[in-house]
Amino acid sequence: MEKLSSRSENKTGIVSHILLLLSVFVIATCGLIYELIAGTLASYLLGDSITQFSTIIGTYLFAMGIGSWFSKYLDGNLLKWFIRIEILVGLVGGCSAPVLFAIFEHVESFRLILYAFVGMTGVLVGLEIPLLMRILKNNFEFKDLVSNIFTFDYIGGLLASLIFPLVLVPYMGLIRTSLFFGLMNIVVALLLLYKFKETRGYRRHFLVIIIISILVFIVGFAYAERIMAYSESMTFQDKVIYSKSTVYQRIVITKNNRELRLFLNGNLQFSSADEYRYHEALIHPAMQALPHARNAMVLGGGDGLAVRELLKYPQLQSIKLIDLDPGMTSLFTHNQMLAQLNNHSLSSPRVKVINTDAYNWVRNDTTRYDCIIIDFPDPGNYSVGKLYTNSFYKEIYRLLSDDGVVVVQSTSPYIGRRSFWCIDHTIASVGFLTMPYHTYVPSFGEWGYVMATKNHSWRNDGELPEGLRYINAATIRDMMFFPPDMCEVTTDINRLNNQVLVHYFETDWGPYAH
Amino acid sequence: MHTDPIYNRRLFFKKVLAGSGLLAAGMYTACKPRNPLGHIKGSIIGANSQVGHLVRNMASLPAPSRQVTTDVLIIGSGISGLSAKRWLHNHGMNNVMLVEMDDHFGGNAHHGKNEVSAYPWGAHYIPVPDIRNTELLDFLKEINVITAFDASGLPVYNEYYLCMDPEERLFINGLWQEGIVPEAGVPADEKEQFKRFSALVDHYKSAIGTDGKDAFVIPLDNSSADEEFRKLDTISFRQYLLEQGYNSKYLIWYLEYGCKDDYGCNLDNTSAWAGFHYFASRKGKGSNCTSSGVITWPEGNGFLMENLKKLAGDNIISLQLAYDIQESENGVIIKVYDVARKESYTINARKVLIASPQYVNKHLLSAIAAPDRLKAFNDFHYAPWMIANITLKHMPQQRGFPLCWDNVIYGTPSVGYVDANHQDLKNSMKRVLTFYLPLVNDDPDAARRKAHVTPYEHWLEIIAGEMEHAHPGITECIEHADIWVWGHGMIAPRPGFIWGQSRKTVKEPINKKIFFAHTDLSGISIFEEAFYQGIRAAKEISNQSV
Repeated sequence: MEKLSSRSENKTGIVSHILLLLSVFVIATCGLIYELIAGTLASYLLGDSITQFSTIIGTYLFAMGIGSWFSKYLDGNLLKWFIRIEILVGLVGGCSAPVLFAIFEHVESFRLILYAFVGMTGVLVGLEIPLLMRILKNNFEFKDLVSNIFTFDYIGGLLASLIFPLVLVPYMGLIRTSLFFGLMNIVVALLLLYKFKETRGYRRHFLVIIIISILVFIVGFAYAERIMAYSESMTFQDKVIYSKSTVYQRIVITKNNRELRLFLNGNLQFSSADEYRYHEALIHPAMQALPHARNAMVLGGGDGLAVRELLKYPQLQSIKLIDLDPGMTSLFTHNQMLAQLNNHSLSSPRVKVINTDAYNWVRNDTTRYDCIIIDFPDPGNYSVGKLYTNSFYKEIYRLLSDDGVVVVQSTSPYIGRRSFWCIDHTIASVGFLTMPYHTYVPSFGEWGYVMATKNHSWRNDGELPEGLRYINAATIRDMMFFPPDMCEVTTDINRLNNQVLVHYFETDWGPYAH
Repeated sequence: MHTDPIYNRRLFFKKVLAGSGLLAAGMYTACKPRNPLGHIKGSIIGANSQVGHLVRNMASLPAPSRQVTTDVLIIGSGISGLSAKRWLHNHGMNNVMLVEMDDHFGGNAHHGKNEVSAYPWGAHYIPVPDIRNTELLDFLKEINVITAFDASGLPVYNEYYLCMDPEERLFINGLWQEGIVPEAGVPADEKEQFKRFSALVDHYKSAIGTDGKDAFVIPLDNSSADEEFRKLDTISFRQYLLEQGYNSKYLIWYLEYGCKDDYGCNLDNTSAWAGFHYFASRKGKGSNCTSSGVITWPEGNGFLMENLKKLAGDNIISLQLAYDIQESENGVIIKVYDVARKESYTINARKVLIASPQYVNKHLLSAIAAPDRLKAFNDFHYAPWMIANITLKHMPQQRGFPLCWDNVIYGTPSVGYVDANHQDLKNSMKRVLTFYLPLVNDDPDAARRKAHVTPYEHWLEIIAGEMEHAHPGITECIEHADIWVWGHGMIAPRPGFIWGQSRKTVKEPINKKIFFAHTDLSGISIFEEAFYQGIRAAKEISNQSV
């Protein structure tokens, strides 16, 4: 076994000590950075930052303890061990953010992988300091050794905790920060390899690994934008925490401290801060009037939020959710943060998710429903426009039970005034009695719905579930009033062979497009 | 072990040769330009002209080995044949047999299907019909294309069959615009000519001749005989436009596009009467559509054809080639070759309805037709067509007006493409586009001969060339393209043909035993005319039978 002590008296020896202490400093900074990255990422992706940070820090420190304990079992060439661990820390820690971001959408037990990463990094970082102390124990007096190492360790910690929120996250982003510090660890390994002659025997072997790792990090650094969908975070106000292109649409989720927002093809679908207003208004005016409703169907609404509201009615035995995009419903079924938002509604045994085209589904379906909720995107193009035609509503009429209620999300009666009333008139044209209403959803603006029935049985005196934040009998009554700037205008009926609604919608919303 | 050195040397040379061969082949593959259309699968299908051509060489066919008897034999399962069969079936004549030489039915209403969509191989829509065309309305009601009649008696059309919005777009001056009438970049004075022409069409739409009949109507035999209108048939559409001072290149393009689309002809080979008929006969009405509305299906007129066939009773047989017709004492004797079994048999029919086109009848009747009929056959000219059904992974991103039912590219030889998925309510990225190319030529025979020897790859180049012009990058999206060549796609309404003598001559029954029905007897190739011709002939047969 080679001893560093044999060289402790000459100049290179002093340089070596400084180098080793400097690596303590770098290691400490890196270690804390990984911990901060994991904590930040967990609160981005899983929400509830206090819990996330607390558990991540706890796990990390505990893992470091395990690492320290394990260090006594490492014998033989300690410097070689140290370099090896340095490379490993760099690889595991450096890859943590990109890998976690990339797998977030694909794996169900994201938490498990997150904590596995935190644990692994912790164990490796925990090994570093005891190992270093053993390497240096013959060069310093014990009191100097302890004092030197911990001084550098804590200074590194301070540096990390300051630059992370002030410089790294705002300017480099999580992925690049993670890759950068991974690279730092590798550079430390490289320096040690270069400076200590006793590494000669295994230099070549490590050098290859180091060069490959450096290349991987550089490539990762260059492609970080892809991984993070950086271009998207520029078009969205808030940080994009998830983005995915399914066959049908681009799903983007952004987050800030206050709320989470879902965008489909760039159009806001909901904000977690006020979606309760939209969804309570969508469901409860209809459902409170249906104490005997047995089954309901939701068309569109793959986020499961409308279903969440429907599940508050114990009389409903079955709820079908028809959404085109399996990518969307699976995301809102399996992703923890999103499933929390819809209260795991899509996993309820009362709910059946069917991924198919809504028009074909209603054309071929023969079930009779007591409640039908139609929550499609706005009629901004011809293929969505078909789902707002009289032919479509004829099929809905056929599927609705005699005392049933239909509710159709009908765009903004303020901005899309003609569009809104066109939807109302089209629904009425197939024999429905319509009851248009509207509400204010801060992130959307004034929003409109059309409720439709086959007879006059609808009443506003039914029982509402406990715990609603927006809807009560008075709200329902108030929502039916249309002030002059939103009141009825004459329109054509939207048909498959004229698609007037798409034209109205374009003109109505044209001035608001950028 | 002993080895023969000579043998070894030989082996060595062989190896060297093989190696250099491989190397050369590899270099050739690596260096040769990649075929940009190589990824497109498909072939030329149909165009089964071989069976038809057997008629020209009947001596080669086996002698008849059995006999069949029927009251009426119909030859040809195009719309006119099926329409006649349906009419006879509805009027109690059940001993009627129909033979078709092809392996499928429906003539120009032929259609296909793949995992993405059904699609047409020919005709693909009808305009909303004139409400006076009651026989057609009855049929449409029977097959639920008309769902009801409203309080004022107007038909209510099934909205799944009315062409959905957006209907038409045109790629012109680098942009897709809504509608086919050129707008984008058309100078004001040329727009003036469009207005003048459109006013003229409106006039003709409502014009009534001195005999009290509509100037232009479907079926066209009901049109006025007033010389004011009939004289338009004596000159070409181009000559007419020239004389009337229409010289806008956009208008000329638009009108020629119309002639190509409906007749497969250019302005020179279309009579001015036929040119106006296209625009001025469309005066249909419906409760839930405008007079310019059209009715269409993913499989095109295959929908109408299949329904017509369902209502036409049984005894409709494919792969039966009628190759010889002789009159007998109390009927007609027809020799038929069974293509599948490779045997011939005779059908003894009391009457026969020949619902095949005149270019076939020319051979079929060569032995028994009178000289004036044989001479008249020579006036029947047919426009050849190439139709491709193209399956796309998805439509490439593009600017301008979105994909429509009918998509036309200004200034190209084709008449554009139809989105077969248009009437499908399913939201699908994959699409089938039906691309229509009339092989316009002053000499259709030359065009036909050329078309029959044109290889698949060459058709692909033509299609991809046009499509790339309006959709950069579309070639990569094409997964599959099948091609159908119609040698005799449509009867050409050349100047003097529609109101000339030949059409009348060949329509005349022979000795009250042999009758005729085909859309070429109308002089224009559209569903309504074929439907009408079938019923007209069926009525003649039925009157004779009484």
